[in-house]
Amino acid sequence: MFISSPEYADAIGELIDAYKEVAPNVTINYETTQNDYPTMLKAKLNSGEVPDIFASTSGKEIDVYKEWSYDMTNEPLAQTIDPSVAEMMKSPEDGSGLYGIAIKGNFFGMLYNKEIFEESGVTKAPETMAELEDACAKISAAGYKPFSTGFSEWWVFKHVFQHYLDAAAANAGTDAASLVASFEKGEAKVSDYPELYDNFFRLIDLAVQYGDDKPLETGLENEEAAFANGEAAMILGQGAWVEADLLAINPDLQIGFSGYPVSDDAAQCQVISGSDQAIHVYKDSAVLQPTLDFVNWWYTSDYGKSWFVDVAGVVPPITTDAESEFTIINQGKELAAEKGSAALACCYSTDSWNQTMGELFQAYIAGTADKDATCAAIEEQWQAIDGAN
Amino acid sequence: MRSVKWKEGLETVLFTLPAILLVTVMMYIPFFMSGYYSLTEWNGIAKEPVFNGLDNFRAILSGGSEYMGAVWFTVKYTIGFVVFTNIAALALAVALTQKFRFVNVFRGIFFIPYIMSMTIVGFIWKFIFTQGFAKLYDLTGWAFWNESWLGSPKLAFYSVVFVGIWQALGFYIVLYIAGLQAVPADVLEAATVDGAGRCQRFFKVTLPLLGPSFTTCIFMSLTNSLKVFDIILALTKGGPGGATYSATLQIYKDAFTNNRYGLGSAESILYFVFVLVVTQLVLKLFSSREVDL
Repeated sequence: MFISSPEYADAIGELIDAYKEVAPNVTINYETTQNDYPTMLKAKLNSGEVPDIFASTSGKEIDVYKEWSYDMTNEPLAQTIDPSVAEMMKSPEDGSGLYGIAIKGNFFGMLYNKEIFEESGVTKAPETMAELEDACAKISAAGYKPFSTGFSEWWVFKHVFQHYLDAAAANAGTDAASLVASFEKGEAKVSDYPELYDNFFRLIDLAVQYGDDKPLETGLENEEAAFANGEAAMILGQGAWVEADLLAINPDLQIGFSGYPVSDDAAQCQVISGSDQAIHVYKDSAVLQPTLDFVNWWYTSDYGKSWFVDVAGVVPPITTDAESEFTIINQGKELAAEKGSAALACCYSTDSWNQTMGELFQAYIAGTADKDATCAAIEEQWQAIDGAN
Repeated sequence: MRSVKWKEGLETVLFTLPAILLVTVMMYIPFFMSGYYSLTEWNGIAKEPVFNGLDNFRAILSGGSEYMGAVWFTVKYTIGFVVFTNIAALALAVALTQKFRFVNVFRGIFFIPYIMSMTIVGFIWKFIFTQGFAKLYDLTGWAFWNESWLGSPKLAFYSVVFVGIWQALGFYIVLYIAGLQAVPADVLEAATVDGAGRCQRFFKVTLPLLGPSFTTCIFMSLTNSLKVFDIILALTKGGPGGATYSATLQIYKDAFTNNRYGLGSAESILYFVFVLVVTQLVLKLFSSREVDL
């Protein structure tokens, strides 16, 4: 078992210990790494030391690793896996299969500081572009920084962009996966989608205008610090995973969670749920059956099911009623129940493209490329990087 | 007589065998393997690479790719690094061969950055550029400290070059000090007797005799800067907006992040040829100008 996500090493250690009691004859060698997981995995695959359980991102990368992965559609765990997670484990190429499971589900959206909002006279999270501009003006008049952005991290952009992509697809009468596909074929133009061409760029402009002094030097840790210390009212590109960090800095922080204002329609301001990571089972493994037994036990046994909330403290990737102690997860669940949740569209693309896209927007923020040049580069590179495979 | 020779030959072979074996396994075999992969389309994951002839090379040389931008960045970095490292190292070496108190302490201070890991140096400077400079701006109010040294594409280049030089300087100082101490005192004395001043002595006697040091230092700084990788990874990760990708970082990105192992191999082969030609030319040029006593 060789997977990424070292932050859950202790929890997985407990899981493995618990499984020892169920199946005393099975020994699980668990290995994880902080850095550069994909490169190390490639080295293992090519040297013939294929791990029985390995990880990748979900969505597009499912196809990349398909010839190594076991299709778990007919396994018992397929009954308990959360549908929004299972959706991301299909092979995008043939739209079926269950090639992975996840350690956690996730929520993506905008985080805001309830106290700053109240003090500035903003009564609710902005749901339309106009409300966002209004909120920015009020917050900045009250002496706070409206945004901290983390724009030096490339993945911040993919987390925000997917919300706008979902809205663009919905308003064009299609779904995000097809829209991504037509960008990959070089058919779609950014300027045809006002949610991207106008609203997304408007958000970036606002975030730069009302945000950090040196946006391209601000990383995740600066973003978290500014938000937790009550300097910034909203942070972009984050989700359920930052809550523990934020509360470690400031235990009294009042976190609000919401979707992004993507258009003039408040109903489209949705959070995103799903899993961005996939854990595969090696299909030609010498110990395939014991491996499947283990993952089935993980997803279907009582201990396994309660493990997600009680031990790992994550959004359960299975259908369960267990309550979480994290406010982002609870608010996310409520919002998803109330307004629905949007697709985890960043996983329809490879991280190669997502990273390039982040760099293109960084260049836009740095002023080395204007809006139209950025759009042209997006159209060209999206096709070049993701179109071929 | 003959058996002694045979024995010596056997010894030579035996002693070099481990090194040859390791170099072959770690360098030559991978080199030829990437030669093969450069002719394929392969993502590093699929079980069988697909042979596609010279397509990768054509894609790179037809221009417009980020690779050429990265090579150009590396060339600029190299020029800045070689010129400033050598001038600064020589100047400091001259200063540090004078006789004054604490001279050894100073030598030590300049050498310390070189024994630190590049990654650590990168993180230290990242901290200085972001937090340290912000503090200095609060104290002094000078606009210089408030520039976005890692966040603006133009300034990030200078920051990267600066940190690269800062880190490597100690090593070249040591090489130049060794060279300076090898300049024979009698020649310098003779020059003094002939009426040469300090400046004349330095430029007409010391400098020409430093030829071998120059060749070594320039060759080393050239190859090291053409291979620059870790310092950029730690400081900027190639950002902002892809402005500081060096050739090696770009090859890594294409091969591993972008899952285009074939293309990355082709890029590295081309880069290998480029580095080979450049270093050989420079080496020839400088060794031909060395003077002997």
